[in-house]
Amino acid sequence: MRMTAVQRFDLWLRHATPVGLAVLLAILSVVPVGIPGYAVVVPAYTTMGAFYWAVFRPDLQPPIALFLVGVLQDVLAATPLGTTALCLMVVHGLAVSQRRAFLGKPFVLTWFGFVLIYALAATLIWCLVSVLSLQPIGPGPAVFQYLVTVTLFPVVAWVFVRVHRHVVR
Amino acid sequence: MARRPGSFTRVAQPVRSFWSRFAFALLLAGAFALMLLGKADILLVDRFRAGVADLLAPVLEVLSEPAASVADAAAAIRRLRDLRAENERLRIDNERLDRWQHVARRLEAENKALRALTNFVPEPNTAFITARVIADAGGAFVRSAMINAGQDQGVRRGLAAVTGDGLVGSIVEVGLRHARILLITDLNSQIPVVVERTRDPAVLAGDNTRLPRLVYLPQNAQLQVGDRVVTSGHGGVFPPGLPIGMVTSVEEGAVKVTPYVDWNRLEYVRILDYGLDGVVKPSGGVPPYTVMTPDQSSGGRLLGLGSK
Repeated sequence: MRMTAVQRFDLWLRHATPVGLAVLLAILSVVPVGIPGYAVVVPAYTTMGAFYWAVFRPDLQPPIALFLVGVLQDVLAATPLGTTALCLMVVHGLAVSQRRAFLGKPFVLTWFGFVLIYALAATLIWCLVSVLSLQPIGPGPAVFQYLVTVTLFPVVAWVFVRVHRHVVR
Repeated sequence: MARRPGSFTRVAQPVRSFWSRFAFALLLAGAFALMLLGKADILLVDRFRAGVADLLAPVLEVLSEPAASVADAAAAIRRLRDLRAENERLRIDNERLDRWQHVARRLEAENKALRALTNFVPEPNTAFITARVIADAGGAFVRSAMINAGQDQGVRRGLAAVTGDGLVGSIVEVGLRHARILLITDLNSQIPVVVERTRDPAVLAGDNTRLPRLVYLPQNAQLQVGDRVVTSGHGGVFPPGLPIGMVTSVEEGAVKVTPYVDWNRLEYVRILDYGLDGVVKPSGGVPPYTVMTPDQSSGGRLLGLGSK
């Protein structure tokens, strides 16, 4: 069955949503909101997105797009170029390889998966940035950011579920 | 437009299958390569960063507006509640400041007279540019902020950014319409300072926490909690005497300073242009710290909207 141009465009838009959302989240994560201490522990929204879509719709999240989103966030947040990109790629890779374990299971299991996989990725990134800056970086902020991200994951995932159901389908 | 099964597909097919197989590994390698490239401090990478950030600056400018207004509204409500107490405090403050003003006037006159006597070389005139903070980058590894003024407004690398409270940081990246401030709490920020009471020189080194440390203090420094820390002007990057913060803990091997700046309400900053040549020129090679890189644009110096 052939689709009309409008249908095709509609489908394209729907399929571009995960990547578009990632770009939006990358930008939103550097917008100043005026909450005390927020900038220090700003949750890694893009990482949550990378994990969610890697588990539920990996076909809509091509690694190259994820890579570019990571570089964009690095530029915006002035982190060493490539660190966020690497973090997203690692999370994506691990999540895709383990996705069968999460599909059709209760959400708590997915959450647990995110806790583990993001811990691995965050540790790796922390080590790399420490090596790059030639000194161990105080782990405090990194640990806080990890905890905040992990705690907020269900909330953000809820939004992703809505988007997934109503927009992406 | 229908695609004919022709030569293009035949050529593209192996490329595509190769890509789909190795994309992930290639991109991982790419991320590593980028990290090394960024570490090498190549001009191209700086240009790329500035270019992308410039493109997104308008978006950030628009987005940061509502976020700021929500925060403003919340603060306004809180202020309304404390209005009476605030008023009382301000009245007392005002009286105290009036007295201070009187003292300052007298000192200024005295200072002027003494300078005239001693042929003192005056500090150059200051110009300043006021800009809004449009992005507040945090996370685990960096402390920086982006502002909506750049080369077009006369911002240059190495200039000091201040609020009414004190020093915020220095400009490390300049695009056409945006610039990035490295906050004094960042791991890479090292500022020559002096303790106001004792005149002990030191370096204020950030470590990504809210409390930067004083390092390279003289052996016999006698610091107390509550001592004011100001820029020393050594190195010619910052003018001397900009307030930075207050010593809040003195322990063996670690003197912590609480900056005066209220990081939660970092909305507008002033970029000070003292006409200092600024930036220390490295003698051999380029040090890794980006502020130290000699400014590439050696064109005429622009002055912003400031006072003259």
